[in-house]
Amino acid sequence: MAKNKQSTSPAPVTKRRSVASGFKRDWQLYLMLLFPLAMVFIFNYASYPGLRMIFYNYKPAKGWDGSKFVGMDIILKVFADKDFRNALISSLVFNFMDLLVGFPMPIILALMLNELRYPRFKKVTQTILYLPHFLSWVIIGSVAYTMFRPTSGLVNIALQNMGLIDQGIPFLTEKFHWAVTYLLIGVWQGMGWGTIIYLAAITGISGELYEAAMIDGANRWQRMRHITLPGIKSTVVTLLIMNLGRIMGSNYERLDSFYNSQVRDFQYQLAVYIYEKGLAGAKFSEATVVGLFQSIVGLILVIAADRFAKKLGEDGLL
Amino acid sequence: MKKNALQKVLALAMVGAMAMGTLAGCGSTQEAAPADTSAATTTESATSTDTTAAETTAEAAADEVAGMEGWEPFAETVTLKVPVYDRGAEGVPDVSNNYWTKWIQENFGDKYNINVEYVGITRSDVLTDYALLAAADDLPTILMEYDFPKQAKWVTDGYLTTFDMNEFAKVAPTYYARMEELGLLKYSELNGETYFCLAERPYSDTNYTFVTFYRTDWAEQVGYDSYPATWADQKDMLLKIKEAGLSEYPLGGSMVSGAGVDQNYAYREFPFDEEDWAVYGDYNVVALGNPANKKLIQRENEKYNLGLIDPEYYTIDAETAKSNFVNGKSFQWSGYISGSMDFLTGFYENNPDGKLAVAVSQNVVDKDGGTTPAFRANNPFGMMVSFSSSATEDEIKAAWMYMEWLSQEENLFTFQWGIEGENYTMGENGLPVATADYDGEYKQGFNNSKDYWCIVVEARNAGTIEDIIHANTPHDLPQEFEEDIVKNYYAQVEIAEAGYAVHDCMFAVDIEAVGEYSATLAEKYTVYRDNLTMCDPAEFDALYDQYAQEYADAGYAEIAEERLEAYQNGMTSKLQ
Repeated sequence: MAKNKQSTSPAPVTKRRSVASGFKRDWQLYLMLLFPLAMVFIFNYASYPGLRMIFYNYKPAKGWDGSKFVGMDIILKVFADKDFRNALISSLVFNFMDLLVGFPMPIILALMLNELRYPRFKKVTQTILYLPHFLSWVIIGSVAYTMFRPTSGLVNIALQNMGLIDQGIPFLTEKFHWAVTYLLIGVWQGMGWGTIIYLAAITGISGELYEAAMIDGANRWQRMRHITLPGIKSTVVTLLIMNLGRIMGSNYERLDSFYNSQVRDFQYQLAVYIYEKGLAGAKFSEATVVGLFQSIVGLILVIAADRFAKKLGEDGLL
Repeated sequence: MKKNALQKVLALAMVGAMAMGTLAGCGSTQEAAPADTSAATTTESATSTDTTAAETTAEAAADEVAGMEGWEPFAETVTLKVPVYDRGAEGVPDVSNNYWTKWIQENFGDKYNINVEYVGITRSDVLTDYALLAAADDLPTILMEYDFPKQAKWVTDGYLTTFDMNEFAKVAPTYYARMEELGLLKYSELNGETYFCLAERPYSDTNYTFVTFYRTDWAEQVGYDSYPATWADQKDMLLKIKEAGLSEYPLGGSMVSGAGVDQNYAYREFPFDEEDWAVYGDYNVVALGNPANKKLIQRENEKYNLGLIDPEYYTIDAETAKSNFVNGKSFQWSGYISGSMDFLTGFYENNPDGKLAVAVSQNVVDKDGGTTPAFRANNPFGMMVSFSSSATEDEIKAAWMYMEWLSQEENLFTFQWGIEGENYTMGENGLPVATADYDGEYKQGFNNSKDYWCIVVEARNAGTIEDIIHANTPHDLPQEFEEDIVKNYYAQVEIAEAGYAVHDCMFAVDIEAVGEYSATLAEKYTVYRDNLTMCDPAEFDALYDQYAQEYADAGYAEIAEERLEAYQNGMTSKLQ
């Protein structure tokens, strides 16, 4: 260790020089970076003082001075609210299911795409797979209802005409069917886009490894299992940790697009709770309590997952 | 070198563009309004002092000549933000930028150095839109809503400023005189403070502008030559239509959503108990648990189980339901009358042999069906107009000037009717006749731009009620409906005179529980209502009781309690 330290002692000077010369050379690029950084600072950090809203019955038009300080009242009120508890449970269950079903799909898809031989076919396939990512949830929801209504939906009509079913399947109108449809549509929407990072990671794997494996007689499956997968393992772990941070989050646009009164038990997740109780009722303090709670739990999960990954010998994220 | 230089220039241009974008996002309303750069006395926010902004204006305007003659252009440009409903309707111009918004700017704004900006408000989600604007410190100068509880909530939330009505009268004497003449000034206060100006609502005891059209060709085929007056006959007719294969689900159906759904006036017991009317009579928060509501949902359950309603109705939005009528799939559709009605035009295009008629209201008490002809009479006023607590005194004065300017007969007429020879022609009787399906440069907003001029009056005025209906009915369709609509108006007048036009109770204090729970209750109601509509009739009673209890626990009991207290304290209007 001491040897290593000695041998690297001049490095800081070199590093400083290289940073300075790098900045001098690419100052325009750094200048461009300044604005995204400012945006991150403004929206992710400068809003922190607003978090004191959780201790006020905050009314924007009255400002801080006109809003009443209520201590822990709002926090206790939110946590005592039965609707909050229901929304929390639904969010956790659905996000966990989303992770379980949705997380492996881009990896599998990336591995499959990597095995495609013809570059043109590969590019067309990739483009088609990316497309759903660019559709808004409102459009996806509208198309889904047109396709999956029990009696007038195209899928049910087709299945009935083929004699496969007697009665329409309530894909979106019965809560358990809805859950499956909702999750699978989510996977369909996101899996193509999710492959990008894995494909980038795969391109970083040395071609020599594949050549050596081929000479040793490894078939495609073996090459995928013993070269490609280990090659992208660190990327998978990083993304898994990041996704764990989102397990408390929820997407209002997606939930709202798939709403109908018969599935509210499952559809009523934290984003819906925040919208209904926070924004529609102009109760920003309640919305902030829930938002802060989501962020804290997300942060704890990310740190815990990072530690766990490090214990297993992975690089981790932090 | 050249390439390098080009890269640098491009990089700098990018940086410049990002900087401009970032700075554009950082602007605040207060800074953006040039009025704020004027003297300190005029920039002070209305909320920052005990004296309201309007009162300060009053001092400044005290020596001025009343009305438009006394107006002078503002020394510095004042920005006036006016809300306008964005109904998401197809085929109408952008609500905040069209010929008529420019017309206002050119004819009113430029003259007085006022920059008039229109702010779109989602019609189906008014409270959320205003809440977001308030959070962004970007409330429009004027706030408008038809429903008293919403305005009351805005008072509680600090959105509104009080003002001196006498000073308003000096700046806007025409508007004030109309309020005084119609006896609307008594509605201008809440908690003993003046917050509201009230627009005129002609013929407020009727709902003649909202009409139901039905398929007479189908009704005649099954032996009915007019719309049945009782539920027994209606049911018989609808079932025969279904059996004859004319329509799979004659009543169509769409999801229940938004405020004002399931109005139960026809299911109430007459005469009313005043306390019951005050506590449970409001239509903004549905009275689940009240006998009238139970009867209404029970009727929906019957319709559903008879197969008269589309079993997927809870996934169908209103636009799709309208399309179903237009495409000849359902028996009836209701809508507002106007010179150009898209669903009627579409109907005749798709069903050239189809025949329609107006379902004329009937003064019949259906004892077996458990209904009366009762309906909700409108408020005696139209739009309730209030002013933002964050507006400067100049902005509020500009708002008053805007209201007064629009109250002038010639300005109001042009805004309501458009350009002669384009939007309308002058009839032989000297009254305007709207051009059907006008689609030119001067195209008006939804329902003849009503969402703009509603700040003054709720309907286009053009002589007698017959003249008004004539002017607001399409005349280029295969069938004429004017006579039926007039009949419907007089039928509603007769029903109102019989005591069945019900006015909702109004509160002189804010019922805070309404603001606290109404959004949640509305969502819960949709679920309960649909479950009750689709349940087995044998299970209905037990399920209804269960939901009524859950609904009460979710906040409705608190609302009822607070309303009762206000009623007992004499803080409500009285049963008429």
